Amino acid sequence: MATEVRKVPEYCYQCVAGPDLLTVKVEDGIATEIEPNLRAAEVHPGGGKCCVKAFGLVQKTYNPGRIVQPMKRTNPKKGRDQDPGFVPISWDEALTIVADHVKAIRAKGILDEEGFPRIAASIGRTSSPSAYIGTFPAFLEALGAVDWSFGSGHGVKCYHTEHYLGELWHRAFTVCPDTPTTRYVLSFGANTEASGGVVATWRHAEARVKGLKRVQIEPHLSITGACSAEWIPVRPKTDAAFLFGFLHSLLNDHPRAALDVGFLLAHTSSPYLVAPNGFFLRDSASDKPLVWDSLRNAAVCFDTPGIEPVLEGVFTASGLERGADDDRWRHEQVRVETSFMRLVKQLAAYTPEWAEKVCDIALGTVRRIAAEFLQHAQVGATIDIEGERLPLRPVAIVLGKTVNNGWGSFDCCWARTMAACLVGGLEVPGGTLGTTVVLNPPRSPRKASIKPGPDGFMAYAFNPTDRARWKLKGPARNAHSALVPLSTNSPGATTLGPAHLAWMFLEDRPANAPRVTFPDLWFVYRTNPAISLWDTPEIIKRIAKFPFTVAFAYVPDETNYMADVLLPECTDLESTQLIRIGGTKFIEQFWDHEGFALRQPAVKPRGNTRDITNISTELAARSGVLSQYNDAINRGVATGISLATETYDFRLEPKSHYDVEDIWDRVCRAASAEVTDGNATDGLAWYREHGYRTRPVPRLNWYLFPDLKKNGIRFEMPYQERLLRIGVELGRRLHESGIEWWDEQLHEYQAIPEYRDFPAIWARDVVLHGGTAEQYAFWMLTSRSMQYSWGANAGIPLMDEVARNIKGHRGVVVNTGRARELGIADGDLIEVRSYLRATRGRAILREGIRPDCLLIMGQFDHWVMPYAKDLQAPSLNTITPMSVALTDATGSGADIVRASLKKLASA
Amino acid sequence: MTRYAMTADLRRCVGCQTCTTACRHANATPAEVQWRQVLDFEQGTYPQVRRVFVPVGCQHCADPPCEHVCPTTATKKRSDGIVSIDYDLCIGCGYCAVACPYQARHITHKSQSAFGGKRTESEEKRFDESRMSVATKCTFCADRIDAGKARGLTPGVDSDATPACVNSCIAGALAFGDLEDARSPVSELLARTEYFRMHEELGTEPGFYYIVDDK
Repeated sequence: MATEVRKVPEYCYQCVAGPDLLTVKVEDGIATEIEPNLRAAEVHPGGGKCCVKAFGLVQKTYNPGRIVQPMKRTNPKKGRDQDPGFVPISWDEALTIVADHVKAIRAKGILDEEGFPRIAASIGRTSSPSAYIGTFPAFLEALGAVDWSFGSGHGVKCYHTEHYLGELWHRAFTVCPDTPTTRYVLSFGANTEASGGVVATWRHAEARVKGLKRVQIEPHLSITGACSAEWIPVRPKTDAAFLFGFLHSLLNDHPRAALDVGFLLAHTSSPYLVAPNGFFLRDSASDKPLVWDSLRNAAVCFDTPGIEPVLEGVFTASGLERGADDDRWRHEQVRVETSFMRLVKQLAAYTPEWAEKVCDIALGTVRRIAAEFLQHAQVGATIDIEGERLPLRPVAIVLGKTVNNGWGSFDCCWARTMAACLVGGLEVPGGTLGTTVVLNPPRSPRKASIKPGPDGFMAYAFNPTDRARWKLKGPARNAHSALVPLSTNSPGATTLGPAHLAWMFLEDRPANAPRVTFPDLWFVYRTNPAISLWDTPEIIKRIAKFPFTVAFAYVPDETNYMADVLLPECTDLESTQLIRIGGTKFIEQFWDHEGFALRQPAVKPRGNTRDITNISTELAARSGVLSQYNDAINRGVATGISLATETYDFRLEPKSHYDVEDIWDRVCRAASAEVTDGNATDGLAWYREHGYRTRPVPRLNWYLFPDLKKNGIRFEMPYQERLLRIGVELGRRLHESGIEWWDEQLHEYQAIPEYRDFPAIWARDVVLHGGTAEQYAFWMLTSRSMQYSWGANAGIPLMDEVARNIKGHRGVVVNTGRARELGIADGDLIEVRSYLRATRGRAILREGIRPDCLLIMGQFDHWVMPYAKDLQAPSLNTITPMSVALTDATGSGADIVRASLKKLASA
Repeated sequence: MTRYAMTADLRRCVGCQTCTTACRHANATPAEVQWRQVLDFEQGTYPQVRRVFVPVGCQHCADPPCEHVCPTTATKKRSDGIVSIDYDLCIGCGYCAVACPYQARHITHKSQSAFGGKRTESEEKRFDESRMSVATKCTFCADRIDAGKARGLTPGVDSDATPACVNSCIAGALAFGDLEDARSPVSELLARTEYFRMHEELGTEPGFYYIVDDK
């Protein structure tokens, strides 16, 4: 029997759907059990529960494969075939080696000969490690310039296109339904029940029993599909066709009055007039877009009081048209039409029958779904939220990975947002909502990010495309500022940029692309690109060429195998950090409270591991940047809260060396002051006992529409005049620089998208590489399960054990009927081959997958990480190419590849 | 009288296995021994397919076949409906494991670390020699219920008197309580929903109800 038992409050933030609040039971100093912190149900929108991944933390702590001593590499050669020869060293030696490199770099100049930062850094899993990284970001900040180009677990493989376009259109870094209120959701591959964490799972379960109908549209029957009312097995990469047919039906099969015409006229650009060259017709004096006023029977500025704009029609009007690079056309009595009219015309060809053929789904499906959507939209209904009457539109559309990134994702994101506008269901209760903002701060509350921009729309910080300011060579190796105007130049922009381009351009630079250099020093934290990027064998070769890599190491893995120094940090249950919680955040974190939660050492550190805050402070001191580091912490870098305001001052002295507890005690005091409006300044001890502290926030913060309306700002739908202009300018700049390999991407800058045969892009890529579409007849897909989504827990046996209860892990899912035709039985060893190479695994026969698709759960293929390397799981990443041809205009690709299938051996 | 029972709302369950891991933690079961687990079923053929997640484990039958075949009276049904195993009496013969129509019983002869090899510190702390070579299964967290009741708590309502799987469920799919108490969570749920019990035709009268819809 244990003599001392404690329950220590903690949080788990292993995935972006966190944080979960939990307690860890500690018996005689040993962590034994994870439990949900049910006391937190009073503030946590998921009942105070924690997800399955949190239960892996005990094994994670006591993993015998952990690195518990600093190590240095003794074999100067790097590569998969090179034993690194790691030998234990003291912390003093390890920190001195790293600090000496930093000092040498600073002496040479923080930028290299190509103008890129000599120091690069990558952290994993969509920045969720920032909840574990302590004050390390303050150390990086103190160094002056760091390149995040090589990916931080997000970027091209995440909801990439949605991030940009979502923020452009409704400050939606990601998009979700207003689940507690909605009654009908169309989900195009959004795997919410696997990747949405506790809160999304909780909210959707509550909604389902109250009558929510969700239709899951995806090539295989995912976990979320299993929890949905209907599954529509759509052909991969044809989601845009479905959505275009769906919009066609809304526009043509139902009376206009069934749509929210008032919303379209007052809160979108639908009535804006489009001139002959495709840009808005503008008032010559004010430059404002014109609308047709039915009262005056004349074109007037869109914001003229007392007008009645017309939704659709063709008119004759005069004015100014402004195109790319300030090209101007003065029009006298020319034929113009409303943006909405353009929409109707553009979508006329995309009939539901056309869409059903493209998508390979049952005839009648698209019209039925459109009718159901409209019926559930309850156009005209209202709801009172905190005393304010708002529209109620309980219908939403969500997009999942490979739908909202890669080719076709622009079309899907646009169509989804357009559909919401047609019924007045964007950013209103029950409708389609954004979760948080990243590129257009401030993040919280989201409505604070609303800033008036041109033409009645929200401002958006596009990277410049004009001749004077556009630069081919930007400050980051992934070229986001040159190629992707939507990526902005905000603090998070580089981490979201097209990471695969940085990796590709290190070795294979297309004509006239800037030379990309290897960074002198690369910090790696909780990320494993040698597994998680595409074309992993090539990635591994490039990682091996990085001259000096410092990895914060938990266990040996495929990336730190190529490192020069391993720094073993205290992990989740051993170290200290305070984070912000609450407000609204992805994936469905919609709280009625906000505040802070603490992670604390529940047990003593294993071996000779150290808290990363102490490591960071020591590195800062030894690198000669201690005062800059302390200053960064004072400003809230890494902690998210300034240590001094008008009401409190807990600042660090610039030249003093602080211990982890002292630093976080000050952060806790500042947090207490913020949450209590200065009435309390409780420090670390208070949070250690209570775990979290919150205050209520208005439910109205969930919805953007009320503030947009108050500010007279419209949703930039349907017509993408700005994108059209930017695309033309970008094309000119690139061509002026001799770059033609981005031309296909330039086609994506359309005012209203024109459907393209997206699956054919992959077929053409196969042919370009010497194959045929018939040879690679299958679509290889990947999917998530809650046990592994974002968790970086492939080396945790408990996760593997329970994941095996869910079909699909450790093998390749094949349609049962198709497998029989090919003589493949359940458990047979099969090979899946792309034009690059093959991966192999056991066949898992399932009915819930299209016959032309194959599926791998998760992304594994480890060869170093203890336990994970013995899973013998196949990996899509091994066989998926990095390719400009497979990259869309936002710089994203998708986890999908054409593949052949062959039986190797019977079970 | 008391009859403890559990409900699983199949409309809510997402197959996340949080209950499985919570049970593994709470009851310190050895690696690969899952007293609670969630199965992943398909029904139909492509493209008319349904996929459903079904939590399973000991059904705490009113007429448990395992009790009938137990040669040592180690398996007993308590007065509150919980089917229990006295590890001191159990000889690990496995008759019960064969007799159980729900495949809910486990016998472990050798415990090793989940990582393979020597047990970790945490595993060593939780290791219980009395669980080796005897039948084990879901107890509805009887220790927790008994301790909670002793403190005046209500099983199924107060978390300290409620099975760990129920406490942990992130979809609110699992509920627990006394069927004989009309105000218990399970009684209230069953009063307003359509449900079934697994292999009801066998006459075991399971204490585990699967909710499929509202009435």
